[in-house]
Amino acid sequence: MVNLQDIKDRAKALLENGEVGAVVGFIESTAGNLASPKFITEADQADGLIWDPTCVHNLALYLVEERKRQTKAAHGHGAAPGGEDKSKRLAIVAKGCDTRAVNVLLQENYFPRDDIHVLGVSCEGTGMVDRYKLAKKLKGLQAEKTEFDGNGYKVTTTSGETVKVAAKDVMADRCLECRHPHPVIFDDEFGEAVEDRGLADAFAAIKTVDEGSTADKWKFWGHHFDRCIRCFACRSVCPMCYCEECVVDSINMHVLQDTSAEEKANRIKWIERSATTSENIGYHLVRAMHLAGRCVDCGECERVCPVNIPVRLLNSVLDFEAKDTFGYDVGMDPGQPSFVSSFRDDDPNDFIR
Amino acid sequence: MEKVLKKDNLRDWVIALSSYEVHAPAFEDEVWNFKQVEKPEDAALDHTNTVKPPKDFSFPQREVYCEFAQKKGEAPMVTETLPALAAPKVVFGVRPCDGRAGPRNDTVFSKEFDDIYYWMRRKKVAQVGLACNTPPSRNCFCTAVGGSPHSEDGLDVLMVDLGDSYLVKALTKVGEEIVKAGGKALGNASAADKKTAAKAKADAEKAPMREIVDIKTVPENLQKNFDSEVWGEMAQACIGCGICTFLCPTCHCFDINDEVTNVTPLRGQRVRTWDNCQFPDFTMHSSGHNPRNTLGARLRQRVCHKFLYFVQNHDTYQCVGCGRCISECPVGIDIVAVVNKVAHDVG
Repeated sequence: MVNLQDIKDRAKALLENGEVGAVVGFIESTAGNLASPKFITEADQADGLIWDPTCVHNLALYLVEERKRQTKAAHGHGAAPGGEDKSKRLAIVAKGCDTRAVNVLLQENYFPRDDIHVLGVSCEGTGMVDRYKLAKKLKGLQAEKTEFDGNGYKVTTTSGETVKVAAKDVMADRCLECRHPHPVIFDDEFGEAVEDRGLADAFAAIKTVDEGSTADKWKFWGHHFDRCIRCFACRSVCPMCYCEECVVDSINMHVLQDTSAEEKANRIKWIERSATTSENIGYHLVRAMHLAGRCVDCGECERVCPVNIPVRLLNSVLDFEAKDTFGYDVGMDPGQPSFVSSFRDDDPNDFIR
Repeated sequence: MEKVLKKDNLRDWVIALSSYEVHAPAFEDEVWNFKQVEKPEDAALDHTNTVKPPKDFSFPQREVYCEFAQKKGEAPMVTETLPALAAPKVVFGVRPCDGRAGPRNDTVFSKEFDDIYYWMRRKKVAQVGLACNTPPSRNCFCTAVGGSPHSEDGLDVLMVDLGDSYLVKALTKVGEEIVKAGGKALGNASAADKKTAAKAKADAEKAPMREIVDIKTVPENLQKNFDSEVWGEMAQACIGCGICTFLCPTCHCFDINDEVTNVTPLRGQRVRTWDNCQFPDFTMHSSGHNPRNTLGARLRQRVCHKFLYFVQNHDTYQCVGCGRCISECPVGIDIVAVVNKVAHDVG
């Protein structure tokens, strides 16, 4: 069992000892049945930390955001980018999938290992809750709070009832299929390592989609891409989508003092602003390809989609290819070569024609 | 005009509206959204609230302004395109908060001049509201911003759930036509029906909802606390996506781009698309400088637009309390909590 007090105590100690400038953890939000990520900078704030099945967020995102912010601030003030200043170290609370994201970022040298502190928390026998599955289960009642309860969840509704549900009935697909519920890189470890949980086969979700014909698949994805409103939440929430300039943004070129008006006017627009089928496909496929061998299947892209597009499936297919064709498991070790920039002599190549 | 509609007769009313394009909330892909009713028997009004507001009917995410073409060596030709005047639409199941968004958006698109693209669509849309006897979401706060779960503002017809039937009240001339078109599907409302509806309204207005502290002083306090550090603190977890804005029934900012569809010979369209104050490029200058370069400043802009600037310019809040931006925010940023904290240091 994960002991929340242990996480609080450790966070407190890290702040008191000045080992980190902030701990990014989860606190209760006021929005209902959802944890909120919080930068905790004072030791006494650590008492507000929570650990429950709504701690869905992949907080590795904030390691990236903080790095960007620091770099921007350093350049803005003419100082050298930080790194040695201990107070700039950041700690995050991270689940198994989140720690694999940390590993990918370390592989890509996004930040040095010494700049971060990982409070790794095991998901043990369960995982995070899926709001749509829970809503279906609650049949009209609204969830206010969800807590771990052995191998189930205890849900408190807005009208005050307590409903107990088996975790596997309302867990996110990615958690059911999870192969690494225990952190793979950490400075502190909380909860027990539970390996083969047997909740669902790995890649179970993509297999159902993968069975149809190409026409069926186009129909399936056409339906979903047409519904996309291009809020870019799937990109914004992804720790791997860290490019300074994204191919879908209207400004996706470095503008310098000597950039001419003509250069600006003639900038290449790869993907137009219109949320039409072709542009939406362009956006989603570019994003998927950029995540090949990098996506750790934290499922945040799919979770945040306001219209519930199964975004995760696109990345899962590529994750499956990496595993099935090249035996590559994403984010298992910070020293592991990155998927797209490495090869072995015996890599299969018969699919190249 | 007040009528009563047995729930089983909703289908007959929809059939009777065959000269209109009828839309109603449909539950697809696990979310509620407005959809054209294909089979009248599928029309049901058992939804919470739709994820996307009915704003799109008048202000779609993409609007083509004009088309352009140029043959080599010739002058460019521009062709005006106006929204195709299709059949008038009737939208069922509009929640009263979303109904109140209508007049606010109307003001934006007509105060200085009438935006023809907006109005050609808007005039063809009739909104049939469904009163909320209980708040559809735990993040509802219509009463905090001057609304009511039974508000008639901006609607053409209001329906009130009476159990086995609805009280149907026509509120505009268009609304009367729609109710009349229903013919025998609707019966006359009795005094008892009206009494039940009045009680439902009184109860609904008493139902607890999210509260904004002393809303009258919010605009001046936001102005006073413009430079508060709280904005940045409240936005610390913000991921900078566009959910709050794109799902908002009253957010109306747009961008205009020329989109080339063919290079030789040149062909393309000038399009208006929704824009989003939460995106960095919203305020990016062509020099590359960005005056609103932090998440806190962007959160401040969105909140101040709704609770300060709109009040200054149009004498009303530009928020109708639907709660979508709270419920759908990936990290739980809560506009009610932000307003209370910045304006009153509460929470």
